[in-house]
Amino acid sequence: MTAVACELCPRRCVIPEGGAGDCRIRVNLGGKLRATTYGRPSAIHIDPMEKKPLFHFHPGTSVFSIATAGCNLHCLNCQNWQLSQRGGEEMEQIYRADPPEVVKAAKEQGCESLAYTYSDPVVFYEYVYDTSEIARREGLNNTYHSAGYINPKPLRRLSRLLDASNTDLKAFDDGFYRRVTGATLQPVLDTLVTLRQEGVWLEVTNLVIPTLNDDLAMIRRMAGWMRDELGPDTPLHLSRFQPQYRMRNLPPTPVEALDRARREALDVGLHYVYIGNVPGHEANSTYCPSDGTLLIRRVGFMVVENKLTAEGCCPTCKQRIPGVWK
Amino acid sequence: MKTEHVRAGKQLGRRRFLALLGGLGAAGAAYPLLPRDRRPRELSLREADFYRPHDHAG
Repeated sequence: MTAVACELCPRRCVIPEGGAGDCRIRVNLGGKLRATTYGRPSAIHIDPMEKKPLFHFHPGTSVFSIATAGCNLHCLNCQNWQLSQRGGEEMEQIYRADPPEVVKAAKEQGCESLAYTYSDPVVFYEYVYDTSEIARREGLNNTYHSAGYINPKPLRRLSRLLDASNTDLKAFDDGFYRRVTGATLQPVLDTLVTLRQEGVWLEVTNLVIPTLNDDLAMIRRMAGWMRDELGPDTPLHLSRFQPQYRMRNLPPTPVEALDRARREALDVGLHYVYIGNVPGHEANSTYCPSDGTLLIRRVGFMVVENKLTAEGCCPTCKQRIPGVWK
Repeated sequence: MKTEHVRAGKQLGRRRFLALLGGLGAAGAAYPLLPRDRRPRELSLREADFYRPHDHAG
């Protein structure tokens, strides 16, 4: 009996023969590590780019989004638990979709980008990698929505193929990570820094949960860290919590709490702080940090108006707005 | 106490009814234990509806 060590994420599972890692989908078959969901996504959708959310990356375009079962985090509030907290064999349906078929389908549907999303693409890493290689050759963008709980070596290898990432920073508190997600904070911070160093366009999402991570002092520390380590132009999405999965005892985040958190993050010096899961809120939109001009007006995931110049500048003061605009 | 006499034909009908009821109960209790194919349904990419509304976050 040969056990194998999975080096992909900080859990470093040692998997006995015939067993599976913590993510449920990385298994030891005859002494070899296999991902059971390779080429077998359970969710395939075409979404607006704004849904990822990526607000400074090809706004208003469609993104071909795929996910398989499994996750290496176990968030009590997971919104996608039916997908993420199951193994591939527990799904009701799966698609047969090898990497070339995914890229072909995305092109046929007129999508410029692919997204590896919904569950955590860390656990279907090989599938993401192979699909991204083909997509890159075919001129498509690769976007990646993850909780960032991955070891530096595989992340650096994958980063070469990624164009944009929205990475969750679930709280700026290791205790929160351990209690609510079953993971730890430091590897996520390392991931954010690595993505920035590797030149991947990066946006960060923080789901604000009442009483658990809505403390303004913590928001201030998190925003300060982002400003210093990732740069003040890194967009931060403060998202509204909805009771889900094993965390139905807490109410949805009050919009006022999100407003307070946003003011705090702007005060610290971040230039682009958005409020998510509150359709119609003025902070769904992008404003020029210099003169306050409304640049991209959004209602929910829809771009209603885009006033950026062809060069991605504010039409009023001509300041360049960071992002990948086309 | 007054003894109640039930006619033989009526008694037989009642026994049959109770037997049927017991059988249905036993079948219902055993149903979840039956072996079933729990494997996911495999679909080709052509069968996917990419624009179907969904509530996945991200």
